[in-house]
Amino acid sequence: MIILSILAMTCLVFLSRYLFLEPRLPLRLSPGVQKLLSYSSPAVLTAIWAPIVFTHDSQLNTSVSNPYLWAAVLAGIIAWKTNNVLLTTVVSMAVFLVLNLVVWG
Amino acid sequence: MNSTAMPHHTVDSKPRLFWQGTVAMLPLSVAVLPWGLLAGSFAIEAGLNPFESQALSAILFAGSAQLVATGMIKAGAGLMTMLITTFFITSRHFLYSVSMRGKISPLPTRWRVILGFLLTDELFALCGQQSEKQFNRWYALGAGFSFYLIWNLATLVGIVAGSYIPSLNSIGLEFAVAATFIAIVIPNVKSIPILISVITALILSVSLTIFNVNGSLMYASVGAMLAGYFSELALTKKTPSNKEKGDKA
Repeated sequence: MIILSILAMTCLVFLSRYLFLEPRLPLRLSPGVQKLLSYSSPAVLTAIWAPIVFTHDSQLNTSVSNPYLWAAVLAGIIAWKTNNVLLTTVVSMAVFLVLNLVVWG
Repeated sequence: MNSTAMPHHTVDSKPRLFWQGTVAMLPLSVAVLPWGLLAGSFAIEAGLNPFESQALSAILFAGSAQLVATGMIKAGAGLMTMLITTFFITSRHFLYSVSMRGKISPLPTRWRVILGFLLTDELFALCGQQSEKQFNRWYALGAGFSFYLIWNLATLVGIVAGSYIPSLNSIGLEFAVAATFIAIVIPNVKSIPILISVITALILSVSLTIFNVNGSLMYASVGAMLAGYFSELALTKKTPSNKEKGDKA
């Protein structure tokens, strides 16, 4: 029974990921829709990172001792100046861990 | 991608592109470790056998949907309830697949199926903003498959070691996700409409999270896309002089 539930959910999740990749699906994206979709990457990614940085247990956390906030500002600056994803992640993560575990730990 | 591209570049570069994808995914792979451990140990705790617990990661392969499904199996929820909840959690993938349609739908069936199966938040993060020219199937495969392997290994460790693992959640590894996504988004803010879209996503997602709205990610994303789209239209209309022969769509 459990394995059947897992299989049913697998079908649903795979469908959601695959549906629009199927070329036989008769779907032509109008220029307007394509323009709309060009915003999907910044929109979705920000909708994922912003709550990690600004909230804690579903509460707004904008205090000066929120390590997520400082490290995120740093990440933003490094990303803007260097355009290097790996460098940005490694440096801001290191600073974050020091703030989170040592300074405010 | 490689500035020293030689004429034989395309012949021997498949493993290299696969590796580049793996490396690009590395921060997100590390960040997902505690969640993989949790997925494994939580499944065992919920009463699933080791085979079923691993199957969740191996065939369902959907972090948040997996954890919620495990919780519902534990609570004895019906299949219909599970499917409806899963549908809400997984609905954002429709958005990813429609965005990736131009890049993946021309590929052969096996590539479409494999990359579709691997199309997580993380893979979309790495490949979503690439143009059709930049997109490379081997790079995407390296990123997606390495992430799949790590997720499943972490699940396995969680199943085997279960309650012996100290909580990794408290050290805040999820910041790596935020850092990576910030690193991808910020350099792409090249116009006022994109800036408006990002600010809208930020305000909407934080507000909806504070108010505990289900599906906040989807609402915030679609809201932000519309904000970007309509501000682009508004800005285009405001400056008709240099747009005379351009896109009036």
